[in-house]
Amino acid sequence: MMRALASAAWLACGACAAQTCGERLAAPVHSTESPRYVVAYSTLPARIHVGGHFTVDFAICPRDGAPMPDSVRVDASMPAHRHGMNYRAGITPTGSGTWRAEGMLFHMAGHWEIAFDLVTGSTVERLTDGIDLD
Amino acid sequence: MRKAALLALVLAAVVRAQQPVAFTDAEVKRIVALGPWPPARVVDPSNRASGNAAAIALGERLFRDPSLSGPGTIACSNCHVPARAFADGLPRGQGIARGDRNTPSLLNVGGQRWYGWDGAQDSLWAQSLRPLLDTREMGSSLAKVASQVRAEPSLRAGYVAAFGREPPDDDQVVAVDAAKAVAAYLQTLVSPRSAFDDFRDALARGDREAASRYPVLAQRGLAIFIGSGNCTACHSGPRLSNGEFGDVGIPFFAEPGRVDPGRFGGIRSLQASPYNLLGAFNDDPTRSTATSTRFVALDHRNYGEFKVPSLRNVARTAPYMHDGSLATLREVVRHYSNLDLDRLHADGERILKPLDLDKYDVDALVAFLQTL
Repeated sequence: MMRALASAAWLACGACAAQTCGERLAAPVHSTESPRYVVAYSTLPARIHVGGHFTVDFAICPRDGAPMPDSVRVDASMPAHRHGMNYRAGITPTGSGTWRAEGMLFHMAGHWEIAFDLVTGSTVERLTDGIDLD
Repeated sequence: MRKAALLALVLAAVVRAQQPVAFTDAEVKRIVALGPWPPARVVDPSNRASGNAAAIALGERLFRDPSLSGPGTIACSNCHVPARAFADGLPRGQGIARGDRNTPSLLNVGGQRWYGWDGAQDSLWAQSLRPLLDTREMGSSLAKVASQVRAEPSLRAGYVAAFGREPPDDDQVVAVDAAKAVAAYLQTLVSPRSAFDDFRDALARGDREAASRYPVLAQRGLAIFIGSGNCTACHSGPRLSNGEFGDVGIPFFAEPGRVDPGRFGGIRSLQASPYNLLGAFNDDPTRSTATSTRFVALDHRNYGEFKVPSLRNVARTAPYMHDGSLATLREVVRHYSNLDLDRLHADGERILKPLDLDKYDVDALVAFLQTL
């Protein structure tokens, strides 16, 4: 019973973090989360087009006392095709726990998976989210 | 009994060959995404001569002028023959010497992200300069191009009209400007609308009668192209190319014992080039078109990758593939039908699978390609 309550409390807190994380990002805001982090992000343009460069603005929100990561990488891949992007995103901090990833480009329609690698010391925590392109 | 079965098969084939394809809404959406055509004309901000009528006139003159080449006998139009869709019909380009790659058509060459089979150039003007300086193509030099522009009265007058000044003393500046004029001309080479474009537009506006004029066999081929063939994974958009690179199982030996590194070498050349869009010759101070150059990734998998060619006018640009090794469209379709997966890189596209097409499907895909 106690375990169930604790789990429910964590879920409530997680939902809360997902809602508030990245509140300063331009809508629509998407998010992906793990027990230790929420990453909220939005893209510019909001609708990604095949073959068009886009920018990802994102916020990292640690939860339950997790540290802010030392650095972050953003990448994307098409799992079904076993390939990634042909471009390597350049990451710049934009202040207050937010960053900008530039130079992203999806060169095929289909299912992509965007990945945020949060690097803390020698550990890397990967948070992913699916993006489907017509 | 056997006769009846055979008759049924023949009848089924006849029906298949005569009945228009009932494309679903999702398929219509995919077809509509292969247009519209022609695209809106855009000015290249990295080239101050882009869209300038005087520069276009100078560029056309330079394109046809053999005096710019090292030996003085080879013009751009020797390989990019206007009557051959600005290609040459040869397996591999033949300038001063035989090259390693097929000469691509210059129709619709403007507005691309990368140029050349390996994408070693990121602008049409840099691509226009490259063959002039290549020892196997035109074998010229910056000094030769510049001195010719300065010395030949009509070229000099054309330069003044295009750039609003006398050609300066700096050979590199004059040669790059000459290449920018050629690029301004090449940007005007846009192919006319095709039978496919009429069909695509008819589908887009729901005009069944107009759509029915498109040959049934081509409709069948189109259905494979956007469906089971998954060709649009790479041959997408109005140009029928995603402008990127792939390893499609064509051997990448330029000759026995010598590998054509393809995109891997292309990215290295691009990054070392003083003529890339991050360099001093980009006329756009904001570098607004340099994003791809700034963020392109060099990976081992780029070995053996070559540019996904546009399929527009593809029936006019045989032979095919980066090395011109396939003589006909039928051979190209058969290549994908019987794809040899052992020839792909170990980390090649998982998307490529042999299509296992029957003769009718091959005919249909070829018929579709001939309408582009």
